[in-house]
Amino acid sequence: MEATVVCVDNSEWTRNGDYAPTRFQAQADAVNLLAGAKTQANPENTVGVLTMAGKTPRVLVTPTPDLGRVLNSMQALEIEGEANLSSAVQIAQLALKHRQNKNQRQRIVLFVGSPIREDKATLVKIAKKLKKNNVAVDVVAFGSEGEEANTEKLEAFREAVNSGDNSHLVTVPAGTVLSDMLFSSPIFQVEGGAGYGAPAGGAEGGGVSGGYDFGVDPNLDPELALALRVSMEEERARQSAAAAATIEDAGAAGSSAAAAEGAAGAAPVAAAGDEAEAMDEDALLQQALAMSMQADQSGGGKAPAAAPAPAPAAPAADQDMALDAADDELQRALQMSMAGEGEASAAPAAGGGAPGGVADMLGDSDYLASVLGSLPGVDPSDPALQGALASLNSGAAGGGS
Amino acid sequence: MPSYQACCAHDHDCEAEECGPAWSLHKHVHLSHVSALNEAVQGSAVSVLRPWHQRLEPPVPNLDSNDDDPELLIHIPFDGTVKLKAVCIIGGSDGTAPSELRAFTNRDDLDFAAVGELSPVQRWELQDNSSGQLEYRTQLTKFNGVHSVDLHIPANFGAGHTRIHFIGLKGEFTQGRREAVVAVYETQPMPDTVSKLPTTGFTSDVA
Repeated sequence: MEATVVCVDNSEWTRNGDYAPTRFQAQADAVNLLAGAKTQANPENTVGVLTMAGKTPRVLVTPTPDLGRVLNSMQALEIEGEANLSSAVQIAQLALKHRQNKNQRQRIVLFVGSPIREDKATLVKIAKKLKKNNVAVDVVAFGSEGEEANTEKLEAFREAVNSGDNSHLVTVPAGTVLSDMLFSSPIFQVEGGAGYGAPAGGAEGGGVSGGYDFGVDPNLDPELALALRVSMEEERARQSAAAAATIEDAGAAGSSAAAAEGAAGAAPVAAAGDEAEAMDEDALLQQALAMSMQADQSGGGKAPAAAPAPAPAAPAADQDMALDAADDELQRALQMSMAGEGEASAAPAAGGGAPGGVADMLGDSDYLASVLGSLPGVDPSDPALQGALASLNSGAAGGGS
Repeated sequence: MPSYQACCAHDHDCEAEECGPAWSLHKHVHLSHVSALNEAVQGSAVSVLRPWHQRLEPPVPNLDSNDDDPELLIHIPFDGTVKLKAVCIIGGSDGTAPSELRAFTNRDDLDFAAVGELSPVQRWELQDNSSGQLEYRTQLTKFNGVHSVDLHIPANFGAGHTRIHFIGLKGEFTQGRREAVVAVYETQPMPDTVSKLPTTGFTSDVA
C-alpha cells in the first residue's frame, strides 16, 4: 500500500522530439500508465502529480486514489521554464508527509528530462534526508542533453536514497518508446515482486494471470473467484496435513498409497508448473486434480477429475494464444499426470482404483475429445490435437492398470 | 522543562520472576506496527522489545541508526491503553549508546522534522547503561492512557551511529483501544491480503 507523488518535468527541454511525438507527450503517456498501474495494484494506493518547472514547482493533484483526476491533470500541463529538482523533491516529500493514510509507504517518482542544475553533493544530501524519513524514490531519466552528467548525479542520488532495494533508476535511451521501456523496468513492480500483469491481459488485478481458473471470470465476479481460490488453498493445506497425519498412523498399504499418490501428484505438479508462467495457478489446480483423485477412490473420479482437467489446460491455453503451444503444454500436462498416475498404480491395490479410473478415462478417446472440445481455444478436430491424443492413448494402454 | 535523571538502580539481585512481570509491557506492543526512522536495517526496531530476562543478550539484528547519523525515531504502538511508569534503555558500547531520550505519546505522524519542532512530553538525559540497571521514571500524570509512544534519540555519546540493545517498558496495561481497527478497504478482493485474515476454520462438507 503506497502513496506516490509523480514529479513531472515540464521544462522547455521537453519540447524535443527525440521521443515520439515529443518528450513531453511521451512523458505524459508514461505517467498515465504508471498512475493506472499503481491504482490498479491496490485500491488504496494513492497517486499525486506535481510539476517541476515554471516559477515554482506546483502540486497539481494531491495523492488520490482517483485515477480520473490524475489523468485530467495531465491534460492541463503546460511547458514552461526550467526544472527545479531540489525544490520539487522537497515539496513532494511534504505532500507525502501529509498523506491521509499514515499506513501507506511513501514513494516519489521523478521524471528527469532536462539537464540537472544542482550539483551531486546537494542531491546526495537531499537523498539522505529522504532515506532518513523512509521515502523511496524511482527516477526515470530520459533526454539526451547532459546525459553523462545527469546519469552520474542520478546514480549517486539513487545510491544515497536506496534502502533495501526500494529505489530504482531507469535511463531510457532516445528513440525508444518511453512507456514501453518503463513497463519492463522494476519501477512497475509492486512491492513484493509480482508484476502489474501483462498488457495483453489488460486490466487484471496483480497476480491473477488467466481467467476461467475455476470456471469463473475474475473480472466478472472477483469475490467468487477469490473465494474459490482461497478454499482451494485451505483444502490443499488441510489435505497435506491429513496426508502427514496418515503417514504417521501405523497404517496399512492404503495409507502409504495415499501418500505415494500425493507425492506422485506433487512431482508432475512441480514439473508442469514450471512450464507455464503462472506457476501457482497450475500447481494449485494440478494438486486439486491429485486431491480429487485421492478423495474419490472408485471410478466416480470422472466428474471432479473432469473439472480440474480442463482447468489446468485452460490457464495453459490462455497463456499462449498460439494453438500449437497450447497443444504442447496440454500434451505435456496430460502426459505428466498420466505418468504420475501410472507410477502410483504400481502401488498396492488399495490405491489402484483411482489411478485406474483416470487412465481409463483418458484412454476413452471419445470422452477425452468431448472434454477437450469444451476448452476455450482448443479445436478438437485439429490434426495436431488428434495426433497428441493418439500418442496419449497408446501410452495409456501401455502404462495403465 | 527539567530533565529527569535516572533513579531506582537495581541494586538487588534481579531475579527474572521479581522484576520480569513488571517490565512486561513488551507483550502488549503491537509488534507488526512498530516502526523506526533512520534505522540501518529495515525492521530491526522490533528486536529491541524483549522480555526482561533477555535484556542483556544482543539482539539480532542490531538496532543501529544509519552511519554518520545518530538520530533514531522509534514508534511503538500498543494493543490497548497503557499507563507507562518507566523506561529502561540499554545501548551499545564505545559511544554508540544514546545520551538523550525524548518521548511523545499518542501521535502517529511524527518524522524528524516534526520531532525537531515539537517539545516532547518528557525528556531524559541518559547515562551509560550497559547492564540495564538504570531505569528512567515517567511523570505518571502525563503517561496515562497511552496508545503509542514515540521515542526520539537525538544524540549519542560520540560515535558515528547509535546502537540500541534493549528497550524495556514498565507499566500497567488495560484492554481496549480507543480507535477503530486499521482496515484495508478493498473494492476488489486482493489475494495478498486474504492471508492476513484469520481463518474461521470453515471446512467444506463436500465429500
